[in-house]
Amino acid sequence: MMYYVQFISPDQFITYFLNGLSEGMILFLVASGLTLIFGLVGLINFAHGGMLALGGYMTMVILQRTGSFWVSLIVAMLLIAAVGLALERTIIHRVYEKPLLGFLGTFGIGLVIEELISYRFGDQSYSISAPLSGGVEVFGVSYPRYRIFVIFIGATTALLIGALLTRTRLGLEVHATANKPSTAEILGVDSTKVYTLTFVLGTALAALAGGLTAPVTSVSPGIGMEYMTMAFLVIIVGGMGSFKGSFFVSMIVGQINAFGWLFLEQTYVQILIFISAMIFILFKPHGFFGKPEVFE
Amino acid sequence: MERVRGYLGHDPRRLVLPIATFGLLVLPIVSPNDVSIATQALLFGLFAISVDIALGYTGLLTLAPAAFFGIGGYSLAKIVVDYGGSFWLGFPVAIVVAAVTALLIGYTPIKQRISMVYFALFTLAFGVIAYDFVYVTTSFTGGSNGLAFISPPTVFGVDLSDLVAYYYFTLLVVAVVAGGLYLLLRSDYGDVLHATRQNELRMRYLGYNTDREKLIVWILSAVVSSIAGAVYVASIGIASPSIMSFALTGEVLIWVVVGGAGTFAGPFFAAFALTFLENSLGSLWAEGYLLVLGILFVAFVFLFPEGIVGRFWDESK
Repeated sequence: MMYYVQFISPDQFITYFLNGLSEGMILFLVASGLTLIFGLVGLINFAHGGMLALGGYMTMVILQRTGSFWVSLIVAMLLIAAVGLALERTIIHRVYEKPLLGFLGTFGIGLVIEELISYRFGDQSYSISAPLSGGVEVFGVSYPRYRIFVIFIGATTALLIGALLTRTRLGLEVHATANKPSTAEILGVDSTKVYTLTFVLGTALAALAGGLTAPVTSVSPGIGMEYMTMAFLVIIVGGMGSFKGSFFVSMIVGQINAFGWLFLEQTYVQILIFISAMIFILFKPHGFFGKPEVFE
Repeated sequence: MERVRGYLGHDPRRLVLPIATFGLLVLPIVSPNDVSIATQALLFGLFAISVDIALGYTGLLTLAPAAFFGIGGYSLAKIVVDYGGSFWLGFPVAIVVAAVTALLIGYTPIKQRISMVYFALFTLAFGVIAYDFVYVTTSFTGGSNGLAFISPPTVFGVDLSDLVAYYYFTLLVVAVVAGGLYLLLRSDYGDVLHATRQNELRMRYLGYNTDREKLIVWILSAVVSSIAGAVYVASIGIASPSIMSFALTGEVLIWVVVGGAGTFAGPFFAAFALTFLENSLGSLWAEGYLLVLGILFVAFVFLFPEGIVGRFWDESK
């Protein structure tokens, strides 16, 4: 039977809530990278999932060499940002604003990354042990310390990027380029540079998500695709190109995923989420915070 | 001889069709080992055409073609395997299920004229739901095991479960359906579609109901995908979730783009050739063929931004 209603104690409620929060944060890191790139140059980046998987594997490999999770996480993120930079300068910049070529190019890159990973590491999944072992007391409930850290990182990243977009000159240039590239260039914005920086930032966010998720779930070549479909949904409902939107919707989806299984099996929860999203698009085609043609 | 020269005129490209037809007809005699892969390649070719009439001719970027391919496949498998019905009954059922689903999915987004990217993501969500659906409804669709053991029947004394016979059956289906579509696109109605894609606003001023035209093409595309899916499932004998997967959607879109979106023959040839390429690479170097494929796609962005056929074959001539 697919229905089974359970009653939960306040302690379990806190655990589920925090699970939803940490899952939501990882989802947000994936979705925010996607939405930044989409909002600026109209590219649906199908290589994003590959970057996430690469982030997870790279963190694992460096961890085996250095023994320090923190070093590995940061080095992996920087290395993959460099990969993103190289790809953007050679291939991706050719396919901006061209949906079909963009699909072909980024899908091809994603395929290459995924295949290289499974060629090197095989199709099995690896798990790495979580740093910050042990639990911490949250409202009288013991909760894994590492997951608290994930929540913290997600929230910090959200604040930092939010501040970058709204408080700095670079943020201003990103907004200007997204809205009217030609006018922005006349006013002295180097739009090529803005495009490149945004793409590299988006890639780094995917890599960070991959590295962070490696100790929670295990890493496998297909891990990128699992997050990608959900991340696509988040950016549709949140409003394409809306940073705020992807944050709030990630949080909501995280909670639905955490509590949903109290009432339904996991796959039904996913179907339910996707059906709600489709109905939502029909009534509000620009999402929660999205406005037509405007990057927030 | 004079008549041949008259047919060819100044356009040697007209040779392609007769040569291709001849090649397809003698293929089982020339290389009997390739018959089953050729059957699948033909069906993927038809599938690519069906996606192209929505994408290339009408501008509907869909990310759910595999869902309709799968709907066709599962409809036939359900009728034959679970209900013990006739193989032939499977086709009208597949067509009706696909048409109704396409109408339900496409009506509101097309009426509301949501943008290309939103339409793409909307259909992506539908594709995910369809894929999840066949996984969870184990009692209805067999879950991850799928619905197995479909065997085509005997007609007029010809046993279709024989590989060569099934190949010719497939060739007939593909020729009839693709030929019908070709005539449709060459007709005045095809011109309406072309014009709609190029300047929808002007077509509306001229009094055409462009939303209706798009919806018709959308449903037509879904129906042809489902026919290809139904014939495909019977050729491999099982309907499994992989025929609904996003991987297949990715492949068919790539065939269309590689062959040249908006050209008729391009996607068909691309699908046919790449299916063979994948198969032979897969047997030579099993781990590497997807890798090579990925590199090919990236190379395409550099070499042929308009697609191979789009580059060498301008159909407007």
